[in-house]
Amino acid sequence: MQDTLANQAPNDIQFSEAEVGTSLWRDAWHRLQKNKMAVASAVIIAALSLVSAFAPWIAPYSYEEQNLELRAVSPRPGHWLGTDALGRDQLTRLLYGGRVSLMVGIVATGVALLIGVTYGAVSGFFGGKTDIVMMRTVDIIYALPFTIFVILLMVFFGRDIRLLFVAIGAVEWLTMARIVRGQVQSLKKQEFIEAARALGLPRWRIIFLHMIPNILGPIIVYATLTVPSVMLLEAFLSFLGLGVQPPMSSWGLMIKDGADRMEECPWLLVAPGVTLAATLFCLNFLGDGLRDALDVRASKD
Amino acid sequence: MPETFLEIQDLKTHFPVERGIIFRRRTGTVRAVDGVTLSLKQGEILGLVGESGCGKTTLGRTILQLIPPTEGTVILAGKNLAQLRGEKLRKARANFQMIFQDPYASLNPRMTIFDALAEAIRCHKRVPRRELPGRVSELMKKVGLSPRFLKKYPHEFSGGQRQRIAIARALAVEPKLIIADEPVSALDVSIQAQIINLLAGLSRDMHLTMVFISHDLSVVRHISDRIAVMYLGKIVEIGSALRVFERPLHPYTKALVSAVPIPDPMREKQRQRIILTGDPPSPINPPGGCPFHPRCPYAIADCALIVPQLESFDREQQASCIRMREINPA
Amino acid sequence: MPLLTVNNLRTYFHTRNGVVRAADDVSFEIEQGETLGIVGESGSGKSVTCYSLMGLVPQPPGKIESGSAIFDGKTDLLKCSMNELNHIRGKRIAMVFQDPMTSLNPYMRIEDQLIEPLLIHGICGRAEAVKRGLHALEEVGVPDAAKRIRSYPHEFSGGMRQRVMIAMALITKPELLIADEPTTAVDVTVQAQILELIKKMQNELGMAVIWVTHDLGVVAGFCRRTLVMYAGRIVESAPTEQLFHRTKHPYTRALQQSIPALQPKGTELYTIPGAPPDLSKRIDGCAFAPRCEFAREKCGKPPIELKTVEPGHATACVRVQSNEISL
Repeated sequence: MQDTLANQAPNDIQFSEAEVGTSLWRDAWHRLQKNKMAVASAVIIAALSLVSAFAPWIAPYSYEEQNLELRAVSPRPGHWLGTDALGRDQLTRLLYGGRVSLMVGIVATGVALLIGVTYGAVSGFFGGKTDIVMMRTVDIIYALPFTIFVILLMVFFGRDIRLLFVAIGAVEWLTMARIVRGQVQSLKKQEFIEAARALGLPRWRIIFLHMIPNILGPIIVYATLTVPSVMLLEAFLSFLGLGVQPPMSSWGLMIKDGADRMEECPWLLVAPGVTLAATLFCLNFLGDGLRDALDVRASKD
Repeated sequence: MPETFLEIQDLKTHFPVERGIIFRRRTGTVRAVDGVTLSLKQGEILGLVGESGCGKTTLGRTILQLIPPTEGTVILAGKNLAQLRGEKLRKARANFQMIFQDPYASLNPRMTIFDALAEAIRCHKRVPRRELPGRVSELMKKVGLSPRFLKKYPHEFSGGQRQRIAIARALAVEPKLIIADEPVSALDVSIQAQIINLLAGLSRDMHLTMVFISHDLSVVRHISDRIAVMYLGKIVEIGSALRVFERPLHPYTKALVSAVPIPDPMREKQRQRIILTGDPPSPINPPGGCPFHPRCPYAIADCALIVPQLESFDREQQASCIRMREINPA
Repeated sequence: MPLLTVNNLRTYFHTRNGVVRAADDVSFEIEQGETLGIVGESGSGKSVTCYSLMGLVPQPPGKIESGSAIFDGKTDLLKCSMNELNHIRGKRIAMVFQDPMTSLNPYMRIEDQLIEPLLIHGICGRAEAVKRGLHALEEVGVPDAAKRIRSYPHEFSGGMRQRVMIAMALITKPELLIADEPTTAVDVTVQAQILELIKKMQNELGMAVIWVTHDLGVVAGFCRRTLVMYAGRIVESAPTEQLFHRTKHPYTRALQQSIPALQPKGTELYTIPGAPPDLSKRIDGCAFAPRCEFAREKCGKPPIELKTVEPGHATACVRVQSNEISL
């Protein structure tokens, strides 16, 4: 926009006629759309999520239905992905497993986000001794061995899938807190935050309307990259027998079964393995795409 | 006769320097502002100049209570700002505002201009929503921007335009005092002229009192009524703008004025330059006696022992130098 | 014979939004030992011109579309091989940059960085280089040089770091020094010191200096000849005195009128209406015409070229060239 002073259209323009600007979010959205990999990944993830969500309606069988006649058969019409040792349809289990894995991924990340962002924002905003104490606490928790912690949890409270969410969320929030704290600290030094103080804006307004919108970018990116990490963690736990319990299925559990019988029934490993890998790849590409799109570089003249 | 509007008495802002991780010990103090006394009349523009480390930026922020003062008083229209806390301080901020140096960083990149200005307008006053578009448009016109752009975001404007928006925001709360911290330093020469004109005009029309902080002496000379020169946290000279520029009293001011390049080749050839040795010092270890004596071409033995105070040379100028009258024959 | 002759330099940047013509048909000369100033605001192309000469323009997205820069009558800096360029850069042509805080490597001691040019150009061995480095540091006025030469950059102030940069640039006794806004980021008293320093070194070495700046004051006191750039083109070229007292381009005049230092106190400063043009769009005719109070129809028609109207004084204003107006 070139004109400033004299040479312009009449000044008395109604609010509704004012030219609408392009926010940074819209800029980012455009940039994201241009990134083919990211868009393809998003589509795949959306498709997988939808299919998994509607598993009870789509799946040809129920996930615990056992057909003892057709135990461990290779893929064929009727059982497109074969069956496992107990005659359960793999395709069905894959769909239901997706529900679990994806849900764990999203919910645990959500938990981590909620705790991490609040913790980090408070620590970063208040600074000083509060910050030191809060961050040292994070350091200490970080040092605890995660696996042992989960095992203890499982032993004491029984094997409940909800406990899985808690356990994973309890670990992932730490990194989120650190990231948010760092962002808030560097944001505090920005002049527009100082300007907000100078205006006399109340503290809550500064935090919620000025700070948080400006750190959402890195938070979104990190959250998108946390989901695959969490899913992998769940798979790992299930693999160890600490996560989801049969007859419920998750991709991790299916991979464990498949790995056990790798030589005789390779199809048991291939389907969940490929699906999990594909999902992780897509989430990572999407995360990368988001990071490139939300990069603030483009906001400079 | 306009009486004193802003009165600053012996203002000090010291920052502790601490060492150690677990047991932090105080090893020194940064005396950023070290005893500043000033008074301004309503509607006056005071230029504040100095080089890096002199404390002018800290002084600006201390006056506005963005940094808490260590000692001293800041009395604005009868109220001591240094004693206000919490909610009282927040409300008082409607009376004094700041314009920042970097137009690229002083606006929230995720808020439209309308939102930013509306927020400022409603910060200290109840204003019905339907009145907002009108008020915001008025503000924008006042700073020379078309209201057509009020739904745009900061990154869609140029540096000069952003600075205008920042000025509009400061004016939105209807302050009586404005501290402009290097408002044109980040702008191109031809844009600087626009903003200088704008600030001068606004100050005149709205009877604003302004403190104009800058390292650019020519700009300060142009817009200010009086100029104060800072060195190592203290004011070493203060007087009418023309006088300080044309007949500086303090050796530091003399060196400063002589160092400013004049865009006129004939005059540049003829002038005598006073070149100082060494760098502007750091405020952590100020020298004893007069802070300037290690670099001063006029220094004598006493200068290392006596801390000079601001003394009047005549009705229009004051300087803090014990040899003031010797080196400036009347 | 001129030390450096630049002809028709065109450096364009191929960006997402179009082709930005950062330097568009720039031609000038500099003689041995001469001080040439290049003045312009941001976007004028003054820095890009210098970077192009030194081969520092990132390609892509930049590209030197055409032009030549003949150094010492023999080498075309724009077309020679990387090998040839490296023999000249840092040795015969040196450059000093704007920001002293980021121009030095924070992980290397001052001494090591200072003598690097001597070592990589094979001018002398390490022992001798260290001696010369110390001498150079003393020459630029760093107090306590012998002790401080082993320090790291972060232990030096901005002004001192700039001096180190200058020492580094001058240690190989170059024939040409290109200084890109070297005093913009330092205090005015330090700027005065640095200007004196460069003047002194220039006298000793007989070195030519190209001084790029936006500050007309610096140019007035320091440069014998000055070029004024706008929108990637040179709009005026003249001996500095003539540029100030008898300018022949409306942009130069407008700049002078908007500087507070040249105006009576308190008057309303002249402001150039409009804004600098978008360099990614083709500009037909004079780039300054949309903002010029003297513009007429002919100003919108190409070609707009730099023409000499008085000995040594050239302008790109077609109306001045045809004597229609005098400023």
